[in-house]
Amino acid sequence: MRKRVFKIFAYLYIPVLILSLYLFLSQKKEKIELLSDYQRKDTSIKKKYLEDQFYSFVNNTQYWSTLKYPINFDPLKEHVSFMSPYLEIIRGITDYDQFRFLDLEGNEFFRAERTKVNSVKLRPLQNKIEREYVKNGLALEHGQTYLSQISLNRENGEIEKPHKPVIRAVSPIYDKTGKKMGIVVINFKMKRILDYLKLRASDNNIFLLDNNKRIITSSKYQEDLPYEFLERNTSLEDLYTSVPDAIKHDTTYFKNNHIWTIQQVNLHKIDSGYNTLSGAPLKVVSPTNWKLAQEASPSMIKASLLPIYEGLGLFNFFAIILLASLSYMLQKNRVQKELFYKELEEKNELLTKNRDKLLKNNQFITDMNHRLEIRNEQLSEFNYLVSHNLRAPVTSMATVMDMINNEKEPQNVTMLLPKLGQVTKSIINLTEDISDYVTILDNREIKIDDVNIIDLIEEVKKDFTETLLDNDSFEVIIKSDAWQQVDFSKFYLRSVIHNLMSNAIKYRRENIYSYILFETRYENKNKVLSVSDNGIGIDLEKHGDNLFKLYKRFHRNISGKGMGLFLVKSQLEALDAKITIKSKENVGTTFEITF
Amino acid sequence: MDKKSNVLLVDDDELYLYLMEKTIKEMTQDIEVNSFTDGEQAVEFVSKCTKEKKTLPKVIFLDINMPFLDGWGFLAEFKKLKSKIEQQINIYIVSSSVRESDIKKAAEYEELTDYMIKPIDRKKLAGIFTKAYNVT
Repeated sequence: MRKRVFKIFAYLYIPVLILSLYLFLSQKKEKIELLSDYQRKDTSIKKKYLEDQFYSFVNNTQYWSTLKYPINFDPLKEHVSFMSPYLEIIRGITDYDQFRFLDLEGNEFFRAERTKVNSVKLRPLQNKIEREYVKNGLALEHGQTYLSQISLNRENGEIEKPHKPVIRAVSPIYDKTGKKMGIVVINFKMKRILDYLKLRASDNNIFLLDNNKRIITSSKYQEDLPYEFLERNTSLEDLYTSVPDAIKHDTTYFKNNHIWTIQQVNLHKIDSGYNTLSGAPLKVVSPTNWKLAQEASPSMIKASLLPIYEGLGLFNFFAIILLASLSYMLQKNRVQKELFYKELEEKNELLTKNRDKLLKNNQFITDMNHRLEIRNEQLSEFNYLVSHNLRAPVTSMATVMDMINNEKEPQNVTMLLPKLGQVTKSIINLTEDISDYVTILDNREIKIDDVNIIDLIEEVKKDFTETLLDNDSFEVIIKSDAWQQVDFSKFYLRSVIHNLMSNAIKYRRENIYSYILFETRYENKNKVLSVSDNGIGIDLEKHGDNLFKLYKRFHRNISGKGMGLFLVKSQLEALDAKITIKSKENVGTTFEITF
Repeated sequence: MDKKSNVLLVDDDELYLYLMEKTIKEMTQDIEVNSFTDGEQAVEFVSKCTKEKKTLPKVIFLDINMPFLDGWGFLAEFKKLKSKIEQQINIYIVSSSVRESDIKKAAEYEELTDYMIKPIDRKKLAGIFTKAYNVT
């Protein structure tokens, strides 16, 4: 029962499961695509913001390059008055962390540092010729601006604390005559921008990476540029086992349950896209090759997918309950049906049995009927025997007695008296015959034996030895291939064979080779004994009806009581065997006994 | 009566034949009795009479149960000869059989005058002869 319920359930549930999984997968894909799209857009916005900031820095720096400074510009002593309004500007632009002028030898000749939010102070000058940005800055042509890597500000070789991530923008400066006199270096504070980048609406991780995938800033770290102060390397590889390779194009993809978005921060785009203060296009020189990356973590994706998972689970939960109960009901129904059919079958079987029994009974009754019919016939025969054959002599006797009584002459009486003896004799003969017949009819006493037909024929043959001795042209042939044994009364069968053999000898044709042939065979599963001779035969048309009747004789000049075939038939019928005859005059006679 | 009349007795019971002959002789000397113990002999006699144009017996007393050829067999043979016979022949079945089937079967033969059950006494015989020969 349980197994079959489960089978039905499986048939119903598996398609539902497949469908729900398919829907789940497509929903999941859609959701991930949606997440990817959001992430891509968010990254784009942040990139745009970053680019805008850099544009602003570059544009800002460019401004200082367009000023016409006095010849032998010395802002600290000779040209303090020229510088003082500009100092106000420097103080006002809060993104400025440091503002410096350097001469062509890399010596600072003006250095202003922001000490508080709205306070800028002049600081002692330093030589920065060894610094990368100075070297690159001095090499700039007119109109070009150099943008450095983002780094933590260092003073005298030490990282300034608290950490101050800065980016340096450098532009050449010229005097009134147009002679290049040095460079302007502005340290822009990056903290605000980087903090902005780290802002996030969701739990995505945001990274600004340099060319070596080192993390400049990340939502994962509170401090920026961790590689500068931490001993261990802090590149993306250190955080993830599987990270995007060097990617040249912007991309967003889903891999290993992470959604990655990588976009290039394109500083060179500033060249063409923005209007400048001076009207001339901005030309940026920069070693930077930043990438802005966003990652949606597996746990975050999982959290977004949770409603879909829940939907799948809930749907399948209800489907399982519904289909399981449906299967149970179906199976129960089926079992009931089977039970019903089984009962029906049993009833049918019972009916069939009853019918078979009835048929058997019918057959039994038919057989019984048949036997009763034969019995009836036999009794009728017996009745006739008694009533007719006994009646005749008795009537005759009465007539003789009547005559004797009426006879007056004693002479005539003595003539009549022997007639009475004749009647008596015939009555005695008749009673003997009747006795023989009654013995046959009363077949309760008959013993049934397993008779060997060959032995029996050979035995009967000896009865006629004398007859056969003086006539060697009579032969008894036995063909018993089909069967040799038969269940019958040996006494009766002996009598039957004796009578038939006696007839065959009595009614053989003179001067020809005569024989009697006993042959066994099967017909409709019944044993049949065929007894044929080549004797004188009999006209069946004339005598057929009377052939097996009592006191019928058909051949004059041949002795006979007219009792032989009557007894044969009676003895066979007493044990349910049948006898038929075929005969042709001067050809022979064939009797067939069916047991 | 111009000629001696003929009666044919067919029965295998010789005592019956003897008694019948005796009774008929005692009744009249004018009737000649021919008797046979079976149908076959009786048929031979009838066909011989027909061939030789001899007078056939006007009355035949026929038994049913006889060897070689029984009463029914005789009747069957007699039917074949009937076309050659011109005179009226009265055939009586005289049997000790009271069996219904025999009586019914006999009724089907139009050649038969009557079915009689043994014994036949003088009175009956007289009636038959009166009818057949118009004498007493």
